[in-house]
Amino acid sequence: MITRRDVLKIGTATAATLACAGLPSAQERTELRVISLANWDERVTSEGLVKPIEAAAPVRLQVERIPFNQLMQALEVRLGARGPDPDVYIVDGPLTASYALRGHLLALDDLIDKKAIAPSAVAACSYKGKQYSAPLANTATVLFYNAALFEKAGIEPPSPDPTKRWTWEHTKEVAKALADASSGVWGLAWDQSERPYEMLPLGQSLGGVALSEDGLTASGYMDSDEFVRAWTFMQSFYNENLSPKGLFDIPVVWELFSTGKLAMMIGLTAGRDTFVKAGVPFGVAPAPYFESGKPVSTTGGWTFGVNPRTEKREASEAFIRALMEPAVQEQFLRSRPYPPFLTALWTRMSDYYSGDMWRIVEYDYANTAVARPSTPGYREYEEILRLALRDIQTGADPKSTLTAAARKTDRELRKYRS
Amino acid sequence: MHERRRRRLAGAARYAALTLIFVVLILPLYWFVMSSFRPVEDIFRYANDFGIRTLVPTRITLQNHIAVFRSEFTRALFNSLFVCTTTVALSVFVNSMAGFAFAVFEFRFKNVLFVLVLLSFMMPFESIVIPLYSISRALGLVNTYGALILPEAANGLVIFLFRQFFLAIPRDIYEAARVDGASWWQIYLRMTLPLSGPTVAAASLLIFIHQWDAFFWPLIAASSPELVVVQVAVARNMSVDQTNWGVLFSSASIAVAVALVPFLLLQRYYVRVVGLGRT
Amino acid sequence: MQTKWWTPYLFVSLAMLGLFVFRFAPIGAALWGSLQETSLTGEVRFAGLENYTYLFSDPTFWNSIRVTLLFNLVINPLQVVCAMVLALMLVRPGPFLGVFRASFMAPMTVSIALTAVIWGILLEPTLGPVNGFLKWLGVPPQPFFRSADQAIWSIIGIATWKGAGYWMIFLLAGLIAIPRDVLEAAEIDGAGWWSRLVFIILPLMKRPLAFVLVADTAINFLMFAPPYIITQGGPAGTTHLLMFEAYQSAFTYFDHGRAMAISVIVLAMILLIVGLELRLLRPKGAH
Repeated sequence: MITRRDVLKIGTATAATLACAGLPSAQERTELRVISLANWDERVTSEGLVKPIEAAAPVRLQVERIPFNQLMQALEVRLGARGPDPDVYIVDGPLTASYALRGHLLALDDLIDKKAIAPSAVAACSYKGKQYSAPLANTATVLFYNAALFEKAGIEPPSPDPTKRWTWEHTKEVAKALADASSGVWGLAWDQSERPYEMLPLGQSLGGVALSEDGLTASGYMDSDEFVRAWTFMQSFYNENLSPKGLFDIPVVWELFSTGKLAMMIGLTAGRDTFVKAGVPFGVAPAPYFESGKPVSTTGGWTFGVNPRTEKREASEAFIRALMEPAVQEQFLRSRPYPPFLTALWTRMSDYYSGDMWRIVEYDYANTAVARPSTPGYREYEEILRLALRDIQTGADPKSTLTAAARKTDRELRKYRS
Repeated sequence: MHERRRRRLAGAARYAALTLIFVVLILPLYWFVMSSFRPVEDIFRYANDFGIRTLVPTRITLQNHIAVFRSEFTRALFNSLFVCTTTVALSVFVNSMAGFAFAVFEFRFKNVLFVLVLLSFMMPFESIVIPLYSISRALGLVNTYGALILPEAANGLVIFLFRQFFLAIPRDIYEAARVDGASWWQIYLRMTLPLSGPTVAAASLLIFIHQWDAFFWPLIAASSPELVVVQVAVARNMSVDQTNWGVLFSSASIAVAVALVPFLLLQRYYVRVVGLGRT
Repeated sequence: MQTKWWTPYLFVSLAMLGLFVFRFAPIGAALWGSLQETSLTGEVRFAGLENYTYLFSDPTFWNSIRVTLLFNLVINPLQVVCAMVLALMLVRPGPFLGVFRASFMAPMTVSIALTAVIWGILLEPTLGPVNGFLKWLGVPPQPFFRSADQAIWSIIGIATWKGAGYWMIFLLAGLIAIPRDVLEAAEIDGAGWWSRLVFIILPLMKRPLAFVLVADTAINFLMFAPPYIITQGGPAGTTHLLMFEAYQSAFTYFDHGRAMAISVIVLAMILLIVGLELRLLRPKGAH
């Protein structure tokens, strides 16, 4: 049986082949060393990244795939040597300012059409008004729920309609009703319960602000009443045995959901494929908000930047130009289902981004998404807060833990003042 | 009579203890090797509800292993084996010579050099990795097998190992050979090394495992796809948002199985040869 | 025959060449780097002892020192004793010993990073098989890496799981070199084996033991993967080893001067302890 998806695949492949015909031959291609992510396996890298870009620009890509856990270290060593290598490298979106300030990124203003990207992404990829990284793979979180557990308990599941979003207060009541220690079922879990990415929206929903305007002060923000309240609420899930303590790896949390031991999960949209494969009956709803506050959702993801010391600047710029073409992004996103950064792709790929989940994400990007704080010290901020969130989850006092973390962050961010 | 019973009791106790240790050490390995033969959906299904199904797979599949061998992993196996054997050959030679000198000779700056040898393996690798990368780049080693092999050829820990064991060989036999006109080179090659089978075997295993485990350095200095090594290939199956447990476990168990081969090959050096007491 | 003065240097030359290029030069750079401050954009300025005084004023650093010392005080003797017991049990001939020997060595073929990943799953409080087994036995599930009381002990446990068989190899090599009749006395058998072990065998094992203790100390002081992969130094800083602090300084706080200063302090600590160990295990009559 030939599905619509297959037809589209063939279509894009033919388009790519045709595009190739008009391009320079292999000899004129410039070889670029690209550092990418090992998450994208050999197939995704070749079909989604190398082929489309080589079809659109006179370059030949030598892609190094670095495991996520070592990406930061590997990039620091390679960039820290301040040599011409690599030419192009993957940038975790919120770290754009950090690399830019330290002279590891080339400004890309002429290569990126800012009007084509969601505004929150433009802000996240820029530093001091200049665009430094080219966005490729966005991310978003939604509420996954186990439909069978809801049915068994006779509880009405959350609606996929973003305007009928559940409140956190209601969600917790439902989690209580569904958690069942005897059969090992948990009420709710976050798939990134230690990451500011997923935990900041709780405090922001109550009106909290993550960092000061200039991005250099954490005291009074990280430990403000809003965040203390939000994360005390988060802690209560663990204290009342509604959520499993100490699960910090995304795939492990997904495993729990896949095996039917988790009633609700706040998680990345990428989890959907895993759950479909596992055969667990599930539904999708927008992430909750606090009754007294407003809905806040997540955004931000993987982008690419150019090493300013590259000896192949022209080719590297051609890479970025190619990367920003909707056709190239489309091929990548079809090989790996991230939500898009380019707003045009929602309609261009409407066959692909169909169904409840993507409608929620599209709505959230347009209405509720808040990018992570823009600061050259994001790396320090994130790591310190991450350890604090871990400790809060395992029982530390939220107020004093956050105050200590905020103070430590201030101390580390001092180097960016001047 | 009484003596024999006591001996038999001691023997039984020894084997009981050996078996207990065996179970504790092997069970975790068994669990992930066994899991690699399970369909992905089953890997965690019985993990937390302990029973016979936790330890015995109900459904067996080779799909994980097939996927591993279809990936870059075969290339990685070849690369790692090549790098490991080359390094072992080079490193045993280079370091045993140095260990021999430290054990046998008296010479100026011997103690200073020896302290430096000790220092060389006490510095955290992470803190020398940036200058090491710059040096390797200046020497044109980056993205060659040389980057994986040469920096590990001289190894302070291995020099120290050889020195410690060579010190146990009585000097008199050297003196006798010297009187007979043997050069130090001949003594090292024809007497010291042949007398040190278990030491050379232990050193080889140390170097082999050190290189087999190499992970961060290859990621930095030899990151081209054609130079991929085993630990990097294994780690690529773990990721933030899409760990493929089946492929991770099967690649890891193949890595473990292959690394076990040299241990089995060198086993005979750890069996006491009956009736061949050393001097 | 007269030994030429340059013969010893010839023997050490190849190794020294390798060490100078690939170890001493980078170590020199690191030592020098600990006295410098590198700005965010890469400019370097001489900072004297500023990196050190900054460290000494930081409570996180002192916590790391405490954790690192506690960790090493337990793990080094533990691993050496375990390795020695294993070696003594295996040195005497008997049936099936090959199987036991091979299986004791097997855990060390698992890389330390993979060890951390696998044990992270095995000891995972919610999904892990170990808690499943405990539940089956009727023991309440344990938090392992997720509790301030158990985390460091869990790390010691998994490191010993991997390490004991490894160090056993070198002790076996040492035991085998001991003359057979002397060795007979060490076998765990017969009255007074303990005193024979302590007074006859251990003195003959001083050099292999010195190697194992020194190498083990260095490796454990430099251990980094388990806290990095499993605990991130937590909960509440209880597994915040110095090497993890060095990692954070370099790759989280972008403070290379501080990272280098920590490395130098780790180096100094290892050197001091190794010096003590070598003195303790110096064979009688040797200099």
